[in-house]
Amino acid sequence: MVGLSEGEKRFIRGGIAQDLRTDGRQRLHYRPISVETGVIPQANGSARVRLGATDVIVSIKAELGKPHPLQPDKGKVAIFIDCSPTAAPMFEGRGGEELSTELSFALQRCLLGGRSGAGAGIDLSSLVIVEGKVCWDLYIDGLVVSSDGNLLDALAAAIKVALSNTGIPKVTVNLGASPNDQPDVDVSDEEFLQFDTSGVPVVVTLTKVSRHYIVDATSEEESQMSSAVSISVNRHGHICGLTKRGGAGLDPSVILDMISVAKHVGEQLMSLLDSEIAAAEASAEDQ
Amino acid sequence: MATNPSTYALSQSSDSKQRLQQRRRLFQETEWTRSDGRSFHQCRPAFLRTGAANAASGSAYAEFGATKVIVSVFGPRESKKAMMYSGTGRLNCNVSYTTFSTPVRGQGSDHKEYSSMLHKALEGAIILETFPKTTVDVFALVLESGGGDLPVIVTCASLALADAGIMMYDLVASVSVSCFGRNLVIDPTSEEEACQDGTLMITCMPARNEVTQLMLTGEWTTAKINEAMELCLDACSKLAEIMRSCLKEAASGSS
Amino acid sequence: MEYVDSLTGFRLDGRRPNDMRQIRGEIGVVAKADGSALFEMGNTKVIAAVYGPREVQNRSQQVNNQALVRCEYSMANFSTGDRARRPKGDRRSTEISLVIRQTMEACILTHLMPRSQIDIFVQVLQADGGTRSACINAATLALADAGIPMCDIVTSCSAGYLSSTPLLDLNYIEDSAGGPDVTVGILAKMDKVTLLQMDAKLPMDIFENVMQLAIEGCKAIAQYIRGVLLENTKQLECRRGV
Repeated sequence: MVGLSEGEKRFIRGGIAQDLRTDGRQRLHYRPISVETGVIPQANGSARVRLGATDVIVSIKAELGKPHPLQPDKGKVAIFIDCSPTAAPMFEGRGGEELSTELSFALQRCLLGGRSGAGAGIDLSSLVIVEGKVCWDLYIDGLVVSSDGNLLDALAAAIKVALSNTGIPKVTVNLGASPNDQPDVDVSDEEFLQFDTSGVPVVVTLTKVSRHYIVDATSEEESQMSSAVSISVNRHGHICGLTKRGGAGLDPSVILDMISVAKHVGEQLMSLLDSEIAAAEASAEDQ
Repeated sequence: MATNPSTYALSQSSDSKQRLQQRRRLFQETEWTRSDGRSFHQCRPAFLRTGAANAASGSAYAEFGATKVIVSVFGPRESKKAMMYSGTGRLNCNVSYTTFSTPVRGQGSDHKEYSSMLHKALEGAIILETFPKTTVDVFALVLESGGGDLPVIVTCASLALADAGIMMYDLVASVSVSCFGRNLVIDPTSEEEACQDGTLMITCMPARNEVTQLMLTGEWTTAKINEAMELCLDACSKLAEIMRSCLKEAASGSS
Repeated sequence: MEYVDSLTGFRLDGRRPNDMRQIRGEIGVVAKADGSALFEMGNTKVIAAVYGPREVQNRSQQVNNQALVRCEYSMANFSTGDRARRPKGDRRSTEISLVIRQTMEACILTHLMPRSQIDIFVQVLQADGGTRSACINAATLALADAGIPMCDIVTSCSAGYLSSTPLLDLNYIEDSAGGPDVTVGILAKMDKVTLLQMDAKLPMDIFENVMQLAIEGCKAIAQYIRGVLLENTKQLECRRGV
């Protein structure tokens, strides 16, 4: 996809080894991140995150649904990512499907926690309206508009921001006469409940290029990677998910080292996003 | 129950729900015994055989407790015409479940997530440069799903690749660990997996001490990751020994 | 349902019958593309990206005396009011892709770029009626941004006929009323129609009025687009220090 000459490849690798990357960043520096909320008025919540030339939009829609019979006390969350062909011609037709499903699975793993719900970024039990009968189904749709590497981090950040922007309509429930009746649910279109997004983790992808690893790789740098580890870190510094890409194997001690670096970088990213969310909210209130 | 003896009882959904919750509570406690009598850090007995399917260039069968998997490897064979020229070989992985693999009759469909995970776990181990312009197809079929499916698939697939004579840096062994409260339980059954707080799966090449793929869900502290990784790596190296002896046995048997 | 208030003559969203929705165009929204643009018509919002002219990807499609123009139209999952997971390449999007391709092909000087390929990708972020027109306008901007030679700029606008009134630039509610909907695309300077589509039926004399209204809309959009391009060129000049 990325056509690079031998010289360019060496330039990128050499720069990383000397802690001065082609765009002047250091190994553990993110590109400037810009956040915009409420970009899709039809959705319950939405956000657009730009990380350098990477541009993603996430929209969140809440629909009434029925809880899973085995988990009557929990709502449902689904994450779907789409890669638009505008981002790269190779995503044309079904070309983007493989990457889309991979990103969707990785985000589900990183944000939705384990089977029992431990470590989940979204509190599923807060989505239940009537236990076993009615709950909110949360659909998180992501769209990659422009791609210049590090899609996973950008999408996870966009989901976090979009969730903080999401208002779930307040509902009043009229329970039916017999317990088997489907309860009547009255959805208010004026009052909205905000989400608690403090538990939503951020994802930090460390890309290993020759012997060093970098954060927030551009697509040129990604073409030179041997492997990449995406680590999701929450506010308490706990690891909530981890996936690896790329062929080359890693020494276990390197992985542990990467985890500790990701924890540190994740903290910074988290506070940066927090201030961006606050700024976006403040500007929304001004209008 | 004694007053109403029944040979077969249909498991009711409310019943199973209660049991699930009970089990969840049980697993939170510090001391409990596993349903198959293993200790927390004990894997299920592994049964491995190569040459399970005759038509394939290589194949293997693996049985870990109730989990039964068969993997066949085809190739290296010519890549599809539509594919562009590639100086290295291609690896194509596909994981599918039989309709009778789960307690409830399933769809028997392909498992996209596992297919891509299997691909990522194996691509680092295979020396793709040795077969340019061609493709190796790895088809895994889960006959019975009894927990820890993906680790078993990966282990079995690497054995099948070895049986097919595909060049690899090392055998890939894989083990998963489940986390319940403060306990770490290795090689979980599907019963345990349904209630786990988190899971860590490692696929590694023990001889090179390299991790080719790892996956983690749930909330973990660094110390716990450390502990779980050590546990996994130790189990992987032991599993690799078993795989090696299986291959040796097959080689001495055929000559 | 009353689509035009009989007393005040205003439409549902407060526009007059021959008012267009607010339009906005922005160039260079996708950094990696050769040319890209965002176009908004009211709540309808589309992004177009152009890749090329470049080597033909699929050799069998290569044309020896002109460029191959391809187009793909896709809608985001969240673009409509009710969330639907839509499969790629359904009938509607294939049809719109074809319409956009043919319209743009008519204005691109394809004979200047033989044995090459130009890809136009349009992505609908929000659909609120008139996506076809918005896509064509966005594609025009993106093609101009990519520096692809064109004989003129194509603009498109739709008009309908509801409550015995010709209405310019229908929104989603007016569009789904099922009345006639005329989409026109014109080459602005040459004053030629390159796209004309209508569903439902309309008497000949009224059709002429409605089409004339749509053409007026197209011209207004052309004026705006020219302004956007001029502004963009000025900025480019400024950056080059001319």
